[in-house]
Amino acid sequence: MTKTSKPGVSRRSTLALMGAGAMTIATPWVARAQAKTIKIGMPTILSGRVAQLGTSSRNGAMIEVDKVNAAGGLAGRQIEMVIRDSKGQPQEAARVARELVNTDGCELLLDAEASSGAFAVHEVARDLGVFCIHTNSETSSLTADPKQHIPNAFRSARQGVHDSIVGGGYAAAIAKAKGLKKWATCSPDYAYGRDTTGEFVYYLKQFAPDVEIISDSWPKLFQPDYTEVVTKILQAKPQAMYSALWGGDLTSYIDQANIYAMFSQMEVFAVNMADYTALTVVKNLPKGIHSGNRYIKTYPATAENAAWGDAYKAKFNEYPTNWSWENATAIMLTAEASRKANSADGKKIADAMRGLTIKSPFGADGTVTMRAEDQTLIGYAIGWGTTIPNEPYVPEVKSGDWKQILALEAEWKKTKGYT
Amino acid sequence: MDLDALTGCLASSACLVTQTTSGFIIGMLLFLVAVGLTLIFGVLKVVNFSHGAFYMFGAYFAMTAYQVTGSFALAMFCGAAGTAILGLVFERVFMSRVYGSDVLMQLLVCYAFVLIFDDVVRLIWGPEFKSMGMPTAFQVPPLFIAGGVVPPYYLLLIGVALAVAAILGVGLARTKIGKVIRAAAHNPGMVSALGINTGLIYGGVFALGGMLAGLAGALAAPVRSLTPGMGFSVLIESFIVTVIGGMGSILGALIGALLIGLIRSFGSLGFPLFTDGLMYLFMVIVLVARPTGLFGKEVA
Amino acid sequence: MTELQAERAGQRAAESLGVPRVEARSRRLRYLDVLIAVAAFAVLATLPFLFSSKALLDFVIRCSAFGLFATSLNLLVGYTGMISFGHGMFFGLGAYGFGLIMQRTGVPIPVAFIGTLLITTIVSAVIGAICVRLKEIYFAFVTLAFQMLIHSLILSWASLTGGDQGLRGGIPRPAFLGVDLSNHMHLYIVSCALLAIGLLLMRQIAQSPFGYTLRMIRDNASRASFVGIDVWRAKLTIFVLAALFASTGGIIMCLFVSGAYPEFAYWTISGEGIFINMLGGVTTFLGPMAGTVLLLILNDTVTRLTDYYGIVLGIVILFFAIGLRKGLMDFAVEWYEQRRDGGTEHAR
Repeated sequence: MTKTSKPGVSRRSTLALMGAGAMTIATPWVARAQAKTIKIGMPTILSGRVAQLGTSSRNGAMIEVDKVNAAGGLAGRQIEMVIRDSKGQPQEAARVARELVNTDGCELLLDAEASSGAFAVHEVARDLGVFCIHTNSETSSLTADPKQHIPNAFRSARQGVHDSIVGGGYAAAIAKAKGLKKWATCSPDYAYGRDTTGEFVYYLKQFAPDVEIISDSWPKLFQPDYTEVVTKILQAKPQAMYSALWGGDLTSYIDQANIYAMFSQMEVFAVNMADYTALTVVKNLPKGIHSGNRYIKTYPATAENAAWGDAYKAKFNEYPTNWSWENATAIMLTAEASRKANSADGKKIADAMRGLTIKSPFGADGTVTMRAEDQTLIGYAIGWGTTIPNEPYVPEVKSGDWKQILALEAEWKKTKGYT
Repeated sequence: MDLDALTGCLASSACLVTQTTSGFIIGMLLFLVAVGLTLIFGVLKVVNFSHGAFYMFGAYFAMTAYQVTGSFALAMFCGAAGTAILGLVFERVFMSRVYGSDVLMQLLVCYAFVLIFDDVVRLIWGPEFKSMGMPTAFQVPPLFIAGGVVPPYYLLLIGVALAVAAILGVGLARTKIGKVIRAAAHNPGMVSALGINTGLIYGGVFALGGMLAGLAGALAAPVRSLTPGMGFSVLIESFIVTVIGGMGSILGALIGALLIGLIRSFGSLGFPLFTDGLMYLFMVIVLVARPTGLFGKEVA
Repeated sequence: MTELQAERAGQRAAESLGVPRVEARSRRLRYLDVLIAVAAFAVLATLPFLFSSKALLDFVIRCSAFGLFATSLNLLVGYTGMISFGHGMFFGLGAYGFGLIMQRTGVPIPVAFIGTLLITTIVSAVIGAICVRLKEIYFAFVTLAFQMLIHSLILSWASLTGGDQGLRGGIPRPAFLGVDLSNHMHLYIVSCALLAIGLLLMRQIAQSPFGYTLRMIRDNASRASFVGIDVWRAKLTIFVLAALFASTGGIIMCLFVSGAYPEFAYWTISGEGIFINMLGGVTTFLGPMAGTVLLLILNDTVTRLTDYYGIVLGIVILFFAIGLRKGLMDFAVEWYEQRRDGGTEHAR
């Protein structure tokens, strides 16, 4: 009988390889012991069309995490950020959040998901009881709706309703001054676009009752061709226009509206214009577009804010976005709450965070506060101004009045049945 | 639903003209994007699901070329030539291996490349959206034509689309190479037996289809922001256009695109929140009533 | 053609698939399937006691959801030759149906489950009646069109579905018959049970005379209709049955994330179903299950290591589509058969 020796990989090495492979694959299923560092899990979107949300969120968080770690960390424990991509799918966001907590040993969650992902992670937080701070979702109902209240979830992002109150007031003043009675709206057809536009129109009419919306358009998110929307608006011949389009969509819209000479025919109010992502990318930016602030390093016009913006640009070679400051604020709040509670325990941090006021370069008066009653951020710098195509982009910003914002927000909650 | 706005517009001649004009513009832009897809299906019997990726590359090549040279013409050329080469390589190396297989394999190979291409673009150009900007030659006020407002740049696009339609239509029907291509679509065995290199024909047609998508992307770059994954929405639209018009028919793609343009234009008046749904509904109706599309031929 | 000749035709079709000769599906083999299902369920049920990892539970639950979905898609693709690009619409329908019933009415979970399956039956019957007449690629297009239409409806009908935000606020889970689905262990056991039962039922369908009818239709539909088979009715039946199992997968996913999102009805879910079938192989019954495990492991491992998941997944797909040209299970079965035949030679 001849010896049968097979060429190629021997059985032993195949088994060894398979074993190694199995171990790599199975690592998530073997829970790891708690280390001296404290892990903060961060589900976000790092691929696809909204990848910039994830990358700038990560940058904003990391620039603050480095500062916290240099100062000793959270109650003596160094922060280790564990950042994962959910590809913009809510079920992936839920899975990633669960994995971060259950397997990777994350004790705190920094949820940098966009709206629907944020709701998915919110349910995970509800289920697991882990401390969670939402940093990018601007949908008011996430914290305003009592059904969503859980003691361990917070939000450090701006809220659509705040932007609309300030925007409505600002626009009403201009409407009255320039006699802009006929308005058109053009916003992306999804919850953020519809809610923000609806609220803006509501407050605009409150402050300027003569205003009438004669045309409304709802293009789909990421729609490439706005021709039918542009011609529809031009036909209606409004005197002013409001849009909640953002990012690439806003850029495409401006490009396409430009060749129809839309900007010479009406005043344009685009709440998301004054974001460096749009301001530095649009090539032929018309002058005089009114915009709310997203992140502008010259507003608030303080040294701290300018320094923060410059440091960010120096480190990452790009300007900060709205998402950057919201994530930075989350880390700042967590660090301060941890210091106050002298602990890195999620529950103690949550207790300390309710009602916490911290010094912040992004605050309207130098501070921001995590409101206790619905655990969302207030007091951040919020204002409107007109844009120019070069630095400083928004030379003058009219600030919103937080007393008025809070009063009107309370009324709004009553009408929605949240209180 | 806002049917009053719709009926009001149909009653007013000014509105009717303007909406029809904008529907025409949308349709011609759509045709330019979709014609490559229908050409590839007509000749190679392959649904090129990576069509959107070629559109994306055309736009990015054009933008980079414009940033480097400042010449619009050169940018357009780079967009078209770059994607033609890409199409040729893609077809010869990968697609040719799955011609015999069922549509699932073709779908998977194409989709695999969409995934890879999107990430490659992200690696090279970055995840943030970018803008090419309108060349100064076209930064002029819009023209008034037949009661409708038409930006000069769109006149250029419409011109290119019509030229493409004419060249392809006449080329395929009348010229010798057109006849060879149509013969290869019908009976590749016979064509190859006659001594003609069918591989070259297939590669050439795929390169042409890819080039058309790339040209569309390059032409669209001045008015649309560029981002990795931008190909997806045009893929879906091209798909709808070619299915409605009939896969493989240039005329079908033209008529289908114009129909979709008009549906979008008038639909956004009457059904502002369901315009997309209208398109899918129309696609379902056409598929059910006439599966091969309005002008398509029966697949053997 | 007589009954006997039809049965022989079915057996020849069975042989072309490489499965052993079947004498009208003997009871013994049916009991074997049940035994396998019970054994598999028992193994899965004891896993949590061997490994204390919650992530393993999550993984198995997701495998149940996608495994049911992918295997049901294989009933259409592999067994009947109906390539559906829109199967994901039933996954989404299951998730939304169950979620809405639980959120808006106070009925017990089993009632909501049955209710969702009823809704799926009706919707899939209507859509199927329209679609199954079409052949080959046009069937694929029209199923895709219907899926995009349903997705569009979900987004537009925001007052019912919550629009792009999905169903928020969590899915209520009142306890029933001692089972409390808000307890993760209970959810795990129920998912494993649904998976085992679902696969068992689908196996019975595949191995039944009806299953062989489907294979006959796949191999040559005109011959099948000459034999007297109502092809349209058979296709519609399997379309609805496949939809029911896809829907069940959607229900499991809805419970897992405690919500329903428009992404569940988007074409990417259909796409994942197709990849899974290709990765695992469409010629074996458990191919899709193997593919599910493989894709989920790939997904989880790669997203942990890099942001560029697209490139990795693309290369994997190309490897299987152009390189191996068949799925993992096909490969495994072939390798096993080669070894078995090769072994008998060496013993000489």
